[in-house]
Amino acid sequence: MSPRNILVIGSGPIVIGQAAEFDYAGVQACRALREEGHRVVLVNSNPATIMTDTEVADAVYLEPLTVASIEAIVALERPDALLPTLGGQTGLNLAVELEAAGVLERYGIELLGTPVRTIKLAEDRELFKRKMIEIGEPVAESAVVTTVEDGLAFAARSGYPLVVRPAYTLGGTGGGVAYDARELRETLDAGLNASLVHQVLLETSLLGWKELEYEVLRDGHDNCIIVCNMENVDPVGVHTGDSIVVAPSQTLSDVEYQMLRTASLNVIRALDVRGGCNIQFALHPNRSEYAIIEVNPRVSRSSALASKATGYPIAKISTRIALGQTLDYIPNPVTGVTKAAYEPTLDYVVVKIPRWPFDKFPHADTRLGTQMKSTGEAMGIGRTFRSALLKAVRGLDLKRETLTGHFSQWSEAELLVIAERATHERLFAICELLRRAQSADEAEAEIARTASLSAIDRFWLHEFDALVAIEERLRRAASPEAIAAALEAGYSTKALRELAPHEPAVSIEAPVFRMVDTAAAEFPARSPYYYLSYGETDEMRRPVREAVVVVGSGPIRIAQGIEFDYSCVHAAWALREAGRASVVVNNNPETVSTDFDVSDVLVFEPPGADEVESAYRGTGAAGVLLAFGGQTAINLAGELQRRGLRIIGSDPSAVEMAEDREQFDSALARLGVSRPKGKAARSFREARAIARELGFPVLVRPSFVLGGRAMEIVENEAQLAVYAETAPPIVPDAPLLVDKYLRGLELEVDAIFDGDDILIPGVFEHVERAGIHSGDSIGAYPPPSIAPEMEQRVLAVTREVARELGIRGLINIQFVVDADGLHIIEANPRASRTVPIIQKATGINMVAAATRIALGEKLRDMEYGTGLHPRTPFYVVKVPVFSFSKMRGVETALGPEMKSTGEVLGIDVTFAGALRKGFIAAGIRLPGTGGRILVSIADAEKQAAIPVLRRYAELGHRLVATPGTRAVLNAHGIASEAINKIAQGSPHVLDLIGSRAVDLVVNDAKGSREISDNYKIRRAAVEAGIACLTSLDTARALAEALGSTAGPPRSLQNYRRLAERVRATP
Amino acid sequence: MPQAALFLADGSRFDGSGLGIEGIAFGEAVFYTGMTGYEEALTDPSYAGQILTFTYPLIGNYGVSGSAAQYARACVAGAIVKQLCAHPSHHASQCDLGTWLDRERIPVMTGADTRAITIALREHGTIWAALAVGEAALARAEVELSAFVRRATTQGLVAGVATPQAYRCEGAGGGARVTLIDCGVKRAVLRDLAAIGASVRVVPYDAALDEILADDPDAVFISPGPGDPTDLGATIATLRDLIGRKPLFGVCLGHQLLALACGASTYKLPYGHRGGNQPVRVTSTQDVLITAHNHGYAVDGTSLPGDLVATMTNLNDGTNEGFRHRVLPVAAVQFHPEASPGPSDARGLFAQWFRDAELPVVEA
Repeated sequence: MSPRNILVIGSGPIVIGQAAEFDYAGVQACRALREEGHRVVLVNSNPATIMTDTEVADAVYLEPLTVASIEAIVALERPDALLPTLGGQTGLNLAVELEAAGVLERYGIELLGTPVRTIKLAEDRELFKRKMIEIGEPVAESAVVTTVEDGLAFAARSGYPLVVRPAYTLGGTGGGVAYDARELRETLDAGLNASLVHQVLLETSLLGWKELEYEVLRDGHDNCIIVCNMENVDPVGVHTGDSIVVAPSQTLSDVEYQMLRTASLNVIRALDVRGGCNIQFALHPNRSEYAIIEVNPRVSRSSALASKATGYPIAKISTRIALGQTLDYIPNPVTGVTKAAYEPTLDYVVVKIPRWPFDKFPHADTRLGTQMKSTGEAMGIGRTFRSALLKAVRGLDLKRETLTGHFSQWSEAELLVIAERATHERLFAICELLRRAQSADEAEAEIARTASLSAIDRFWLHEFDALVAIEERLRRAASPEAIAAALEAGYSTKALRELAPHEPAVSIEAPVFRMVDTAAAEFPARSPYYYLSYGETDEMRRPVREAVVVVGSGPIRIAQGIEFDYSCVHAAWALREAGRASVVVNNNPETVSTDFDVSDVLVFEPPGADEVESAYRGTGAAGVLLAFGGQTAINLAGELQRRGLRIIGSDPSAVEMAEDREQFDSALARLGVSRPKGKAARSFREARAIARELGFPVLVRPSFVLGGRAMEIVENEAQLAVYAETAPPIVPDAPLLVDKYLRGLELEVDAIFDGDDILIPGVFEHVERAGIHSGDSIGAYPPPSIAPEMEQRVLAVTREVARELGIRGLINIQFVVDADGLHIIEANPRASRTVPIIQKATGINMVAAATRIALGEKLRDMEYGTGLHPRTPFYVVKVPVFSFSKMRGVETALGPEMKSTGEVLGIDVTFAGALRKGFIAAGIRLPGTGGRILVSIADAEKQAAIPVLRRYAELGHRLVATPGTRAVLNAHGIASEAINKIAQGSPHVLDLIGSRAVDLVVNDAKGSREISDNYKIRRAAVEAGIACLTSLDTARALAEALGSTAGPPRSLQNYRRLAERVRATP
Repeated sequence: MPQAALFLADGSRFDGSGLGIEGIAFGEAVFYTGMTGYEEALTDPSYAGQILTFTYPLIGNYGVSGSAAQYARACVAGAIVKQLCAHPSHHASQCDLGTWLDRERIPVMTGADTRAITIALREHGTIWAALAVGEAALARAEVELSAFVRRATTQGLVAGVATPQAYRCEGAGGGARVTLIDCGVKRAVLRDLAAIGASVRVVPYDAALDEILADDPDAVFISPGPGDPTDLGATIATLRDLIGRKPLFGVCLGHQLLALACGASTYKLPYGHRGGNQPVRVTSTQDVLITAHNHGYAVDGTSLPGDLVATMTNLNDGTNEGFRHRVLPVAAVQFHPEASPGPSDARGLFAQWFRDAELPVVEA
């Protein structure tokens, strides 16, 4: 095939339902295309991805994922082909829209791989259902409806419960299970709105059936293979993304396995999929009857899981299929000796458990249904289901090492409720019920009861029970045999200490490495992909070169996202570049870092102390890098050092000093650097005394946490009392930090320090003033409003702090600038959310530089320079993206606790243009001229709001306001429309939002709890899919964006050349 | 639980625990890579005389149904698993696997490092072995293994599983009349022949020509079975006499026997193919089928005489997977179109053969 110019569309920001798996797939796709000699044009708005690195594609566009923006890129780059199935639902929908808009035809772009008619056939509920009936494959009785009334009419005939599945959405957005007419009305309204084509499938319920998935590949010659099948522990009714998933299936006989395999092939052939495809089945638990639930004609979260579970790179092979290659000619990259036309067979078990954000959202509805709520997942690989399950549990980083011991205070009735209607705690609730059984007979009875309540197959319940029995046995008497059995079952040494605290340290046999080889050892494999096991033979092939361990960041969760995976990947690459062998320890199946191509040795295990130590000793490593795996990795510093591992980069004492209030204060005092006054409180009483001394408002938060968990701004003593009731209890190791709250301009700096020299590639300025978590703030580089002198001051302070903390590598510092000058809020001796962005903007590979420093090199011997890097001649603006629509009941007003799940970048030569692109990329539908903006402003902010609101009016927007805000607007001569407060009766503000008669909501009322009008307004906006800004600063920025035009799209490579030209000009 | 160990003839030993049956099983140590289908595999006559290691670590999860069995009893000499499920869960389950294996008097080792055994077999090749369960058995296993190795043979394996007398197996009717030479046939082969309407007369592997042709069948089918095809000289001679007289079809051992009858040769594979994921490429269409395998010997593709043409090839190792006669209605495949266990990609092959030979096929 002659070289082509191929457009690849990424999946955009991380949201619930669409996470890092598409970075993994996209990177594989781009690499496969370039290996075949093609040129790749990539569009993705997510800057924290490896795929948007200039090394991955020939032209990288960090531009909004809209038809208009992509058409402009197409006009510039003139691609002759488009690969649509690697960018998740976003990429797929865009391909369909580009085709519908005539763009593909106009520019003569060929769609590679799965054709558009297949996408439509699979995604359109009505067409799909008809096709399945045509080929004789069973589907649940259902109706495709486009109005709420039609749905209610179907329900009147079919009865309840009904499952609502919107067409063309991801993660079950807008879907749900309706048990009555009221619920159906609500769910249908949300579902129809969420669907690209305003269409939903109403399905009679298969609740309680087993749920299975088959990952299928098909090439252009009609050769099909199953890469992997998976069985959900949670039966139909819980979204597969929110289910505990096991690969391969465990409770299916060969007859059933093959029945569904054959059905999968029938479906993929009938749909004419070219590449990867995921098929979900419901299987009746008591007879071999099945129904097809749905098909995703693209790579997916499940295909990433299947790839990691088997070692078979689905995205890479899918891409080669899209190029016209057939499975029997593509080599199997794992064995090297066999072909891709092959069905992997496993000799281990894989368990995936979702990671939910409910720790960040204590008021969210935690019940699980057909709409996905988890942000990430942890995968465990073990020789048995039990060990794989335990690895997944501790890999969630919930500080849980065991299945029991978490719910001993709960009543039986409470536990049974969870067993019946799943929440994120169901596994632990069931295990607690099993623990309470006093005999084998009672355990059997409990299994029977739980099985009938939950519809979870008894096989799983028996497996849970076997583990519960091991835990109870250890609690009673920790004999050497019991300990050995527990280790082999998969418990960590930490779990053993928890279960048998009085047992003197037992000598513990080291675990061994086993290989993931797609072939159950039938063929020798060359993939350096391992997991750990006890009591078996070791298969580790030690790297020849000196090994260094990179500790990963585990599952994606709010405040610890894909950006740390980005850093880990770059660290692994930098090690290889520096002639070392990289050893990655991580357990997130979605990510690039767990692609065995990235490192020299991949140890797929939770990044915990036991596993890191095993990886270190097993590979004979010379050092461990912790700075790139987020707080998860950093928190291991002390423990690993005690175990005698050599930590390279910043010394563990730097972590201690940065996190320990007193140590950090005295360090700053020595340097004469200011920080908001504050103290560590060891009780809430002490916290109150400190707050009185400092004066309100104060910022309170537990130490050693990430993402500002349980961090709040407290305005008065009453609020502090409320905080004390709702916050996690204060523990001796982690006191509560109470700081004077400064409301100023927030700056964020990522710096590299080698002991002598410092390099700051760029200073980030936040649009929102301090008080909103940096992860939820809009951030801009170069800083639009601070003077060069202030940047110099930042440089000087950063250098001194880095020196004082003993940094060797990366440090991230957050500053506040107020009338009194520059203050430090916090310092983190690690990579950060902004590292990938600064790296993209400046081209300075911060992670590589930090890795080389850890290996002993100096900045002055590198190509990056020292001091403050010159500002780029263009702006990058990071805009956070939230997943509030997936989380019913969650308060959307921003504060010091982080709530966003992802981010996008806008780049332009003007700040306003970059802002505009950032807002568009974040999915905020900018109101056009004459658009209606509903405003309600807190009393304290009303004066400050006037110029902002006036600006909206000047731009031609119509303001709609409730009486209080309207009075102020009137007083300043700003015209507005009136709308009732809720208390004034209908039609009131919620009706207005519900009918989608406004285009934007600005509601900045602070400190309100779930019951207030403002909360209801914000939630109503989320449900209606209308953007809601909760900070006046954001509203001001949006006004600026609305008043500007963005420049044309430009590739990152092009921006870099622009920067070089400017720098070269004297 | 009693102690158990697998002793390989090269002196290596793998430990685990036994179930209820104590004693020693001798045989060839082999491994099966399918993740489901243990009941079918344990009852597959082709595993006669073999100690079977399951590479998938959790075996017995869905119990034993009886309906999945391929033979009236367990056929393996011994079984080795990582973890045996004591609490199966399946609507078709009649009994848990451990209880059934005890009832079938099969020595079993659980808790074994099955992956290490598989790697040993892959690297060493198929090897004679002893599976010993219980103290007494463990004490004498090594000595007895060396005695066994001196006289070990695959001869007699077919006789042990093939029917001693002829019987009939009627299909829906209206289909072809087939005589099946039973070298250890699986029920699934008979089921699939019945499914296309064939009425089958099953005759012993050593049936004479007259007996095979007794009711003037439309075709003769040679079944799968255990062991080395060259052990069955008489059967090969009979087949040679049948060439040109009747359409001939063979599966697995039947494929090897037909090849030998036509003048080709067979050889022993290093460690065999046993599983449900073997890719086979059809020469004429370039289609790839994922197929079920269970064989330790293969037809030497380069030895096919001029009147035979290779029709299919294994994509993994290039071994011959099928041939047909250039003129006569003679065709055979090495893999198992009837699957059970395994994928059904080649399920239509029997009907295809019959149609090509202009024999009646009744559509289901």
